[in-house]
Amino acid sequence: MERQSSGRVEVPLSTLRDGESGVVSSIMPRHGKGWGFEKRLMDLGITPGTRITVVKSAPFHGPVEVLVRGSRLALGRGMADRIFVEVDRK
Amino acid sequence: MSKKKLVIALAGNANVGKSVIFNHLTGLHQHIGNWPGKTVEKAEGTLHFRGYTIDIIDLPGIYSLSAYSLEELVSRNFIAVEKPDLVINVIDASVLERNLFFTLQLIELETPMVIALNQMDIAREKGIEIDIKKLEKILNIPIIPTIATKGVGVFQLLEKAVEMIEKGTVKPTKIKYGGEVEEKVNNLIKMLEKLQLKYPRRYVAIKLLEGDQEIEQRVNEISPQIVSTAKEVAKEIERLHGHSCPTVITSERYEVAGCIAREVQKLVIPAKPSINEKLHNMTTHKIIGYPIMISLLLLIFYLIFTFGNYTSDLLSNILYGFKPLFVDLFGSGFLGTIVWGAIEGIIAGTTIALPYIVPFYIILYLLEDSGYLSRIAFLMDNVMHKMGLHGKAFIPVMLGFGCNVPACLGCRIMETERERLIAAFVSTLVPCAARSVIILGLVGAFVGIQWALMLYIIDLLIIFSLGRLAFKALPGESTALIMEMHDYKLPHLNTVLKETWFRVTEFIKIAFPLIVVGSLTIKLAEFFDLLEPVATILSPVTVIWLGLPAVTGITLIFGVLRKELTLVMLATLMGTTDFAVVLTHVQMFVLALVAMLYIPCVATIAALVKEFGWKKALFITIFEITFAIILGGVAFRLLTLASI
Ligand SMILES: Nc1nc2c(ncn2[C@@H]2O[C@H](COP(=O)(O)OP(=O)(O)OP(=O)(O)O)[C@@H](O)[C@H]2O)c(=O)[nH]1
Repeated sequence: MERQSSGRVEVPLSTLRDGESGVVSSIMPRHGKGWGFEKRLMDLGITPGTRITVVKSAPFHGPVEVLVRGSRLALGRGMADRIFVEVDRK
Repeated sequence: MSKKKLVIALAGNANVGKSVIFNHLTGLHQHIGNWPGKTVEKAEGTLHFRGYTIDIIDLPGIYSLSAYSLEELVSRNFIAVEKPDLVINVIDASVLERNLFFTLQLIELETPMVIALNQMDIAREKGIEIDIKKLEKILNIPIIPTIATKGVGVFQLLEKAVEMIEKGTVKPTKIKYGGEVEEKVNNLIKMLEKLQLKYPRRYVAIKLLEGDQEIEQRVNEISPQIVSTAKEVAKEIERLHGHSCPTVITSERYEVAGCIAREVQKLVIPAKPSINEKLHNMTTHKIIGYPIMISLLLLIFYLIFTFGNYTSDLLSNILYGFKPLFVDLFGSGFLGTIVWGAIEGIIAGTTIALPYIVPFYIILYLLEDSGYLSRIAFLMDNVMHKMGLHGKAFIPVMLGFGCNVPACLGCRIMETERERLIAAFVSTLVPCAARSVIILGLVGAFVGIQWALMLYIIDLLIIFSLGRLAFKALPGESTALIMEMHDYKLPHLNTVLKETWFRVTEFIKIAFPLIVVGSLTIKLAEFFDLLEPVATILSPVTVIWLGLPAVTGITLIFGVLRKELTLVMLATLMGTTDFAVVLTHVQMFVLALVAMLYIPCVATIAALVKEFGWKKALFITIFEITFAIILGGVAFRLLTLASI
């Protein structure tokens, strides 16, 4: 699922390599699940336009460790699939 | 001296140091309970200062003041409705931006406040320097730097708080959103002017745009028109910005927090990674993270259980030593039986539960406060997802192998009621030490170790499948890990011990009456020779369906009190410890299987009652009895066919 926008690509956070960073562009809502989880992500600082860095992911499709606004968060893999970020990729 | 009463609330993100400050302020004069009608914890304490009696309320750690979680709702209702004289906003100086995001929302609630800029030591370690004067000026809120664990600044904080209340407070600077949003908020405020609201108007206007359900409902009761206008306005903002209105507002609020943070803090990143950073990298490492975790957990396990066993034996030797005295005093007639039955219940509770619960709590709090718990959750998230839970649930489930009681109580670390319940349910199915005694002492010793192993495997399969089932059956949002991994910190021992103390006393209050009643009932049944008839009544189940001797009905009843009694009573009633003489291999296997699953012991039931109420506890109990009996009968038939 890649979207092209003016030379930068928009990819799910979960596809970022360790150490790579991007700018949050959107959070995909879950169907019929209310909007609690997006709210929670945003309250923790993952808002559109924020720079987010993937530090590493736990093995076997485990959660992703990210740095955002000076704090360190762990996000379940399902979560990270729904956060779209813009990255510079050739 | 006049005794004026003041109420001060502590508010802030999770893990900023509120509990430590709370403990410094209130010492031993505190009380932990629940908010009326809520499962959210409420810590309250009092202190005397300059002629005032000050009530301190430690609000739950939250990141926002929306209505998303119960904790947030409780906090904002308290601040807005009960109107404490002052709120102390505790801030983690090492994560300033995110903490200011919360501060900005407190400002919107227009509550008088003082800021405790805590964890200054950690901020310094990370190379963060904060211009406190400047921050004070920008926010127009007094700020006291503190290092709570060392007690630094706590007294000044209290002084400042009282001074602010006496002076009547200065109004904090209102934060402004972007042009369009600000304009729309102001329009809404005008519309709200005539309404009688318990929240400040500006706050209500903003929350309406954010689509806050509680606020919408309240305004809707007085003026549905305003709600629909707000919805239209929100749509307009969405069109303008390309994001939903709540997203826009949250983003803008964070922008303000970010701007302030950048303006007041200087970052000098240390040349080499700190020990803290190294420790984090090691303990969350893809490969070495796991052996570290496993060894640490085994060590903890070992410590809790050697300590528990030792103390348990010691206590029971001492306490049972009083038995002859009681027999002398009350005789062994009816009175003696009742008195001893009650006393034995208390002894059982003291010797079985307490020696494990006390060290368990201490270690759980140490793990949580130090930050390691969140690393375990990070490593285990994936496995726990298989049973519909997320990483944090690993802790209670693992503890269940020792004793189900702390496991159930440990489920508190889960965020939602639903996750708490699933985790507790799963934990009660984990074979605790007492059940291991049965499995190993009966099946392992007489049938063969591979069959004992088989029981464990069956249990794990059951745990995974019932966990999944409960996850599917219970309504609610599916679980996902969104968790902060804060820096490693040295826990504050005093706070840990106090928290343990309150938890333990709370447990005693709930569990002991239940244990005593259970013990009394069985003693009375024994006294009136009701056990035989009960065994006969149960025999359709035990004899016909499960293929066991009738006496096992009695032993299983005793097992409710404590699981290992199943085995002890079996030996007593059968008159031998060589079970091979009285039971076939199939019978041993079935008995162990049923004993493993059929009911959580009375202490566990008590823990369930305490955490989830009677209804759910009863439901879990009845479900597990039925499930165990069905499975036992099936196993009996299958095994007879295969004849082991
Ligand atoms: N180094 C350092 N550690 C601190 C300081 N204040 C608190 N801590 C530690 O931070 C951890 C969390 O503190 P708590 O007081 O439990 O935090 P809380 O705000 O009550 O957290 P919740 O109960 O989750 O809301 C503990 O391990 C404390 O020992 C501080 O100023 N410096």
